[in-house]
Amino acid sequence: MQRQSEARLGPLLLLLLLPLAWGKGPSPPRAAEELQVSNRLAGQAARVALHYLNYRLGSPSALRALGQVRKATLKTIPGIGHKYYLQFTTEDYKSSLNVGTCLATVFYLKRKPRPAVNINCTYTKDQKQIREDDYSFYKKMRQQTKPIIGNDIPDSYGNIEPALEPAWALAVAGSSYLMWEKSTENLGYFMAQVKNVKQWITKDDSIDFDYSVVLHEIPTQEMISCHLRVIWTPGHPLKVKYFCLSENQWSESEEGSGTESGSTNGIFNEKEAHF
Amino acid sequence: MSDNLSLLIMKGLLVFGVLLAAAFSQKLFVGDQVLRITASNEEQIALLRELGELEDLQIDYWLSPAQPGLPVDVRVPFHSLQAVKVFLESNTIPYTITVDDLQELLDEEKEAMMMSRKFERSSNSFSFSSYHTIEEIYSWMDNLVAENPDLVSKIQIGQSYEKRPLYVLKFSTGGVNRPAIWIDTGIHSREWITQATGLWTANKIATEYGKDASLTAVLDTVDIFFEIVTNPDGFAYTHSTNRMWRKTRSINAGSSCRGVDPNRNWDAGFGGPGSSSNPCAETYHGPHPHSESEVKSIVDFVLSHGNMKALLSIHSYSQMLLFPYGYKTELAPDHQELNDLASEAVAALAALHGTKYTYGSTIDTIYRADGTTIDWSYDNGIRYSYTFELRDTGRYGFLLPASQIIPTAEETWLALLKIMEHVRDNPY
Repeated sequence: MQRQSEARLGPLLLLLLLPLAWGKGPSPPRAAEELQVSNRLAGQAARVALHYLNYRLGSPSALRALGQVRKATLKTIPGIGHKYYLQFTTEDYKSSLNVGTCLATVFYLKRKPRPAVNINCTYTKDQKQIREDDYSFYKKMRQQTKPIIGNDIPDSYGNIEPALEPAWALAVAGSSYLMWEKSTENLGYFMAQVKNVKQWITKDDSIDFDYSVVLHEIPTQEMISCHLRVIWTPGHPLKVKYFCLSENQWSESEEGSGTESGSTNGIFNEKEAHF
Repeated sequence: MSDNLSLLIMKGLLVFGVLLAAAFSQKLFVGDQVLRITASNEEQIALLRELGELEDLQIDYWLSPAQPGLPVDVRVPFHSLQAVKVFLESNTIPYTITVDDLQELLDEEKEAMMMSRKFERSSNSFSFSSYHTIEEIYSWMDNLVAENPDLVSKIQIGQSYEKRPLYVLKFSTGGVNRPAIWIDTGIHSREWITQATGLWTANKIATEYGKDASLTAVLDTVDIFFEIVTNPDGFAYTHSTNRMWRKTRSINAGSSCRGVDPNRNWDAGFGGPGSSSNPCAETYHGPHPHSESEVKSIVDFVLSHGNMKALLSIHSYSQMLLFPYGYKTELAPDHQELNDLASEAVAALAALHGTKYTYGSTIDTIYRADGTTIDWSYDNGIRYSYTFELRDTGRYGFLLPASQIIPTAEETWLALLKIMEHVRDNPY
């Protein structure tokens, strides 16, 4: 009798222990679905991850654009949200040359206003060159006695005046913050044009720009006008304040970490810049 | 606050600019002269300054009196010429007449500008690597027809809301009502790369017939209908007022917002959630299917032709090649064939400059869209219905630099040719 019950207990015990064993290591995805690389939601999520990266790096010379999605998985967490697991290539924003691959998760939470992003990337662009390019823009702007101003960048014909290109790149970096915040699983953004740029000459170490930008919203196709204030010191997080015409109040970036809604990894958290 | 002020200033500048432009196109300078004066001492400089302050004379210094010896240029209105000349002569201030009649000069200059544009209008000195206005495009089209009368003709299929003609180029080597391919560009006016690509492509078809074996074989059995400026009102508006205008310019009853999205106005899944019922929205579907004359004209033309085998609608941006459906997830009956052909077309495109496109059904690849052109054409028996989304993927978006026009057109051509060959080889 006893042996029989022991024999029954054995497998029962095993069954009870199984979930514990699974809980220890990487948990298997619940309701995970592999997506086609051409799937629009995958591409959209990859772009959100890049908006976040571009904002966090805060470097006009290191901006990245989406290359191609290589792998995409969607995990549905009932009652909580949708999490995308992505692998994609990236291109340098200005030159379109391939600059490395990223692994990212983008979590659209039902109860939080903006997507939570985790992103790690390899980088083939020369870090030293990036710092030098950033610093030379920074220096030039610090040396302005008359504030830089401009409109329609690019103009109707796609031209960007070379002298205004770094200010445009800084607008892309600043807009990335705003586009990350506004993105949802179904609404995506591109920065279509800088309508207006005006520099504020500051007494401190930062460079300070006022922008009016137009964002292109997908899939609604709407052109959204936003006002951006971007304050930048190389090697420090970008400070961005924005106000979009359909909203009632200014939104502002946090100083520093932003770990609560995402993170970047490793080589990108360099706060020191060697000038 | 500063937003409102800068808006006000910009509005003010715009008004000023418009007035100035209007002023210069009127005959305001008839008989006016430009004089070059050389003052020989400080006293004469002082006299010239005082002269400038006499309001009734209304003289206009182009080079102000500064120092003796430096030239002073002044525009003198016709009514003040006597008085000014008498003043100068009686004060022994030497002068010469550099412009005898300013209006004549302005008229000549204007004519010269128009002449140089006219020169451009011979179709092969036309620059394909710049963006053009409607007038320039329509004029180029006439040149193309004039230079290739055996291959190209121009048909008017209707009128836009603002009564602009809707022109279609017909490429045909003969026959009667041959199977045909329809191509349209510029249905969304802000997508400037599409009209520009359309121009290059129309030119390519005309120049390569008889040279490129494959195209020649296509045109020997199939006709091509090409509408380059599919939304002329919107296009004119992007030049004159708002570069980012997408829709038509029709007036919406009961709303201050104008325009209907011509790619949501077709009778295929019309009015669904992949479009908007708000006249102010960019994807407003319109009051009913085919409410827009720009759309109705194509519908009527295609249906009465009755033998269209392919419909290719060109948009930007995103670098995608899309096929039905946009209004439902259900696969099109020809999904496999459309998918395979898209794959080949996209591969041919990428081979030229490395430009990567994604492809698939509209709803899977880009987003749900209801009432679109290609869903309508597919549901009306036109099997090879595709939407192209040209360069780029968001960096410049609608504002694609002109330097990318020719590379974009060249690569797109290879995809178009692939599809045209397939149509030629797969009659149905």
